[in-house]
Amino acid sequence: MPTDRARGTLGEAKATVDVSKTSSFGLALTLGLGGCAWDTPMSTVAPRSDLARDILHVYGIIIWISLGIALIVAVALAWVIVRFRTRPGDTRIPVQTRGHTLLEISWTIAPAIVLLVIAIPTIQVIFRTQAEPARDALEVRVLGHQWWWEFRYPGLEVVTANELHVPAGKPVALTLDGPDVIHSFWVPRLGGKRDVVPGRLNRLTFTAESPGDYPGQCAEFCGASHANMGMRVVVDAPDAFARWVAAQKAEPVEPAAGPAADGKAIFARSACVGCHTIRGVSSGALGPDLTTFGSRRTLAAGILPVTVDTVAAWVKDPAALKPDVKMPALGLTDEQARAVAIYLIGLK
Amino acid sequence: MSDQHQGHEPPTVGTYLRVALVLTVVTALEVGVIYVRRLAPIVVPLLLAMSAAKFALVALFFMHLRYESRVPTFLFVGPLVLASGLAVALMTLTGAFLVFGR
Amino acid sequence: MSAHPSDRLLHAPAAARASADTTSTVLSWLTTVDHKRIGILYGASAFAFFLLGGLEALVIRLQLAVPNNTLVSAHTFNELFTMHGTTMIFLAIMPFNAMFFNFMVPLLIGARDVAFPRLNALSYWIFLAGGLLLNASWLAGTPPDVGWFGYANLTSKHYTPGLGVDFWIFSLQILGVSSVIAAINFIVTILNMRAPGMTMMRMPLFVWMTLVVQFLIALAFPPITVGLIYLMFDRFFGTHFYDVAAGGDLHLWQHLFWIFGHPEVYILILPAFGIVSEVLPTFARKPLFGAPVVIYSGVLIGFFGFGVWSHHMFAAGMGPVADSAFSIATMLIAIPTGVKIFNWLATLWGGAVRPTSALHFAVGLVGLFTIGGLSGVMHASPPVDLQQTDSYFVVAHLHYVLIGGSLFGIFAGIYYWWPKMTGRLLGEGLGRLNFWLMFAGFNLAFFPQHYLGAIGMPRRIYTYRPDLGWNAGNLASTIGAFGIGLAVLVFMVNAWRSLRAGAPAPADPWDGRTLEWRTSSPPPPHDFDMIPPVYGRDSFWREKYGSRRVPIAGATQAGGHASIHLPAPSHWPWMAALGLLVAAVGGLTHVTLVVVGVLWTIWALVRFALEHHRTPEHADQTGGLGLDHRKMAMWLFLGSECFFFGTLIATFLAYKGRSVVGPAPHEIFNIPLTSLSTFDLLMSSLLMVLALAAVQRGDRRQARLWLFGTAFFGLIFLGFQAYEFTSFVHEGFTLQQNLFGSTFFLLTGLHGTHVAIGVFWLLSLWVLDLRGRLATVDAVKVEIAGLYWHFVDVVWIAIFTLVYLIP
Repeated sequence: MPTDRARGTLGEAKATVDVSKTSSFGLALTLGLGGCAWDTPMSTVAPRSDLARDILHVYGIIIWISLGIALIVAVALAWVIVRFRTRPGDTRIPVQTRGHTLLEISWTIAPAIVLLVIAIPTIQVIFRTQAEPARDALEVRVLGHQWWWEFRYPGLEVVTANELHVPAGKPVALTLDGPDVIHSFWVPRLGGKRDVVPGRLNRLTFTAESPGDYPGQCAEFCGASHANMGMRVVVDAPDAFARWVAAQKAEPVEPAAGPAADGKAIFARSACVGCHTIRGVSSGALGPDLTTFGSRRTLAAGILPVTVDTVAAWVKDPAALKPDVKMPALGLTDEQARAVAIYLIGLK
Repeated sequence: MSDQHQGHEPPTVGTYLRVALVLTVVTALEVGVIYVRRLAPIVVPLLLAMSAAKFALVALFFMHLRYESRVPTFLFVGPLVLASGLAVALMTLTGAFLVFGR
Repeated sequence: MSAHPSDRLLHAPAAARASADTTSTVLSWLTTVDHKRIGILYGASAFAFFLLGGLEALVIRLQLAVPNNTLVSAHTFNELFTMHGTTMIFLAIMPFNAMFFNFMVPLLIGARDVAFPRLNALSYWIFLAGGLLLNASWLAGTPPDVGWFGYANLTSKHYTPGLGVDFWIFSLQILGVSSVIAAINFIVTILNMRAPGMTMMRMPLFVWMTLVVQFLIALAFPPITVGLIYLMFDRFFGTHFYDVAAGGDLHLWQHLFWIFGHPEVYILILPAFGIVSEVLPTFARKPLFGAPVVIYSGVLIGFFGFGVWSHHMFAAGMGPVADSAFSIATMLIAIPTGVKIFNWLATLWGGAVRPTSALHFAVGLVGLFTIGGLSGVMHASPPVDLQQTDSYFVVAHLHYVLIGGSLFGIFAGIYYWWPKMTGRLLGEGLGRLNFWLMFAGFNLAFFPQHYLGAIGMPRRIYTYRPDLGWNAGNLASTIGAFGIGLAVLVFMVNAWRSLRAGAPAPADPWDGRTLEWRTSSPPPPHDFDMIPPVYGRDSFWREKYGSRRVPIAGATQAGGHASIHLPAPSHWPWMAALGLLVAAVGGLTHVTLVVVGVLWTIWALVRFALEHHRTPEHADQTGGLGLDHRKMAMWLFLGSECFFFGTLIATFLAYKGRSVVGPAPHEIFNIPLTSLSTFDLLMSSLLMVLALAAVQRGDRRQARLWLFGTAFFGLIFLGFQAYEFTSFVHEGFTLQQNLFGSTFFLLTGLHGTHVAIGVFWLLSLWVLDLRGRLATVDAVKVEIAGLYWHFVDVVWIAIFTLVYLIP
């Protein structure tokens, strides 16, 4: 689970190295190819969807075969070097064997058989995972922008950004589109990646197994802040999902008097309205829809947790946190930024 | 001149003139074929065949492949075949053949 | 026991020496055409660029050592990984390989130099120009920052304005020219200049791998050349090749790039395989096990390597059928690759293994490449690849094959051939330290990256959050990277000490198997006093220890000591390269420089071509296969051009019907007029063969008539084309109008450029004839001009049908 401690934003001074027990243990495991540090937030081998499991099925076959072959070659190599090593001064000439047809044929056929064993489940999974999605699949249109994700649910008339909610146990059919450059949608625990290619509509279909919270990240270099184009997929139980949809479609509540109301006023009179939509307040289409911003736990495409401080810092100077971001600094004071932050966080 | 002539008699001016004549006729046929309505369903294979024939004539006679050892033929035809295969693959992958008939 | 055969050579009488090649002035190096010196130049340049690329890597690793790091900005990081990849591939590994191609291939086949020594020098200077241009981008403050494979449309002017991408485009094009020229040179050398008795199957493995690599270079570079031309035109002239709004397909760039990119990885690894196939037998004192099979597998890999490129695009959405096809093809290629590993193991088995430094690196390659190859097999499965591609898993894979494979192979070659190249021995103790440091550092740097990729770390990110479990792996990787750096330092110390005061190397320090050990260390300028005898594969070994007392072909004087012709030094190679550099700089700055550079290059090339027009030794260049070197070279060039025009035509057809606005072909083409120009070009080919026949029989009057006639018909064709272009523009159909405009004008424009070059060439020959300087002995020069001309005609035949006629 992502920690709630803000460890230092990307614009701040050099973070200290965390030499806690966790990372040394991780280091030891890394070096020793050990066991269980695989259940990390973006792990590709801790599946939580049918797609991820199908992939892991083939992955597992190949990994074990590869380890076996690597072991055989390593042992053979070590053995020949040790066994046939000469001492200095040894000038004997060994038998000049040129080849052995039967041996060569067998070690040509053996890899071929191994590859067949890999190819068959590979082809099966390719076709299974790229089949047309079920009729009752939840349709979501994903638009990859530089450097944020837009999610539109055509059937539900919901538009949001950077955090994708899906129901558990129901197929989700993503259609990937992009108005600018190539990106790649990747939420490792829910499956492999698929590129967002402007001019093409790529598809990715999966059924998430159980409620949970899965981070993802853009996986095709797309410009300066490629590293800052993360996302969150929240898998809800079906009733929680229905509640979420309702909350997304509900009219925003008027903010309480005080900083939140001030924030709304500042928002409404600033250039914010040119890019962002907050239902009932503005209808800009260049940046993420903020109508239910407060219901999200991360900010700026998954790179920061949502707190008043982080949101205020973002609003005041986005480029300090995300190089080349299209959102300009609007010259707000700290107080104004804070007010806007409180307003936005209140938009649940 | 230092290359070998293997297999066939050296070409004469007459050979060259005959080849040029055939090239002219085939070109005229190619242009004609596209105006003949009845041939429309097979016009593409016809054109491909005719241009391949011209290609071959120039390569065999003007470029002397017919009169040389096998070496230049392999050096040229190998890449030609590979390039053609790649071109077809590229066109298939980008969906060209879906619009080819238009 | 008779004296060691190589002892005789040290006491051989001194033969003719070209004075320039034994001095060490800057001028002598600038004008050298000696393959050995050119090899050293490549090697030294490669090493300098390797250090630069390594420095870039260390900064990358420092930035990634800890999460949320701010050592470098995002922009700088993106520039660093772009330049690191581009530098290591094109300016380090390829020229390191070129060092061995240049120095060793002629020696290995018992020749005295390459087929075209001045062209060889030209390749080097053009390479240097490209490398300097790319790195000048650092000085200009605008290095490219789009990744070494620069995907469109991120590389468009809209999304990446600024000069970085333009530096990248021009540098790569220049480097491509250098590589293709060298490729043709080496193919002719290997096919045509082997010592008598050395059949293809008796060639050393390194020569075989070199041959396959050169074919790959000659054929794989044209598609990327075309792809880069499209990008350049999009950025400079407003075409729409990668413009989605105009109907362009962003997959096109990826296809063109990877049609080059995949053969490129075989270009990078096969020489290392060749080196290992020499080193292991030498130090095991046994022949390469199953040498014919290793040869065939190399050829198969090269050939089928053209059929797997879209395995780099499994995430791009090509559809299940394409995914499956490329998956199967990729798995098939793993078979010949894997077979080599077993052949190498079997070579060592039962041998008398001497654990020299060279052997350490070769054995290291066998182990490390196995790991890299296995991770490659994982990538061959699209479902698995969808988790691994664009993550640190593939970064681990590519470094295992490129460092564990190519670089370890290069170091094996350096330790193996250093005595031959420098006349000194490298220290074995330092060499083993070099190996172990590099082995340990490398594995520490890159093995954890498999894990990082498996737990979801994407590639090309300048920083990462601390709560994703990536911290320890990154730190380990950074430490390992510095271990590699330390290993390189140890090598530099070893090299320095060897050059300053290393033990002198005998001709045959390793009791070698191949012909290079039969001459002194370093070889004399003319390589061999006599072209060596050939006893079979592993010829020198058989000479020393075999039972056959008589060689298949004896040693030949090849003219006797006094009349060994050494290629004379020349200024034109570096001059022509400089012109190309000026033109490229002009592309980045001002168009007048482009004009100056192009004119300068043309002038230098004309002088280059005429420099030895009357040198008697250059008159007859018939080689071992019975074909003149220059004719063979022209046929190879035409093969390469098949790929060039094939790509252009395929793009035209792929984009046909996808323009978003008009006009469409049938609305604008003037078929009757184009038929006339087609007829004109066909007739020009007739005139060309008549011209050649006239030159061959010494009929100067007819030669002048038909040469001029061909050129004149060429000019008429160009006139038709000029008229066509202007009338199209007049009707509103321009290069920028739509996708059809972009593809049509570029295809026919480039063809027209070829015609224009041909006209220039023919008129030059005509002028030579007018001045009485074209004789029967020059017929082959007219013949190759003719081959070029007919090819240009043949391409038009294809264009006329596929572009104009097909509905």
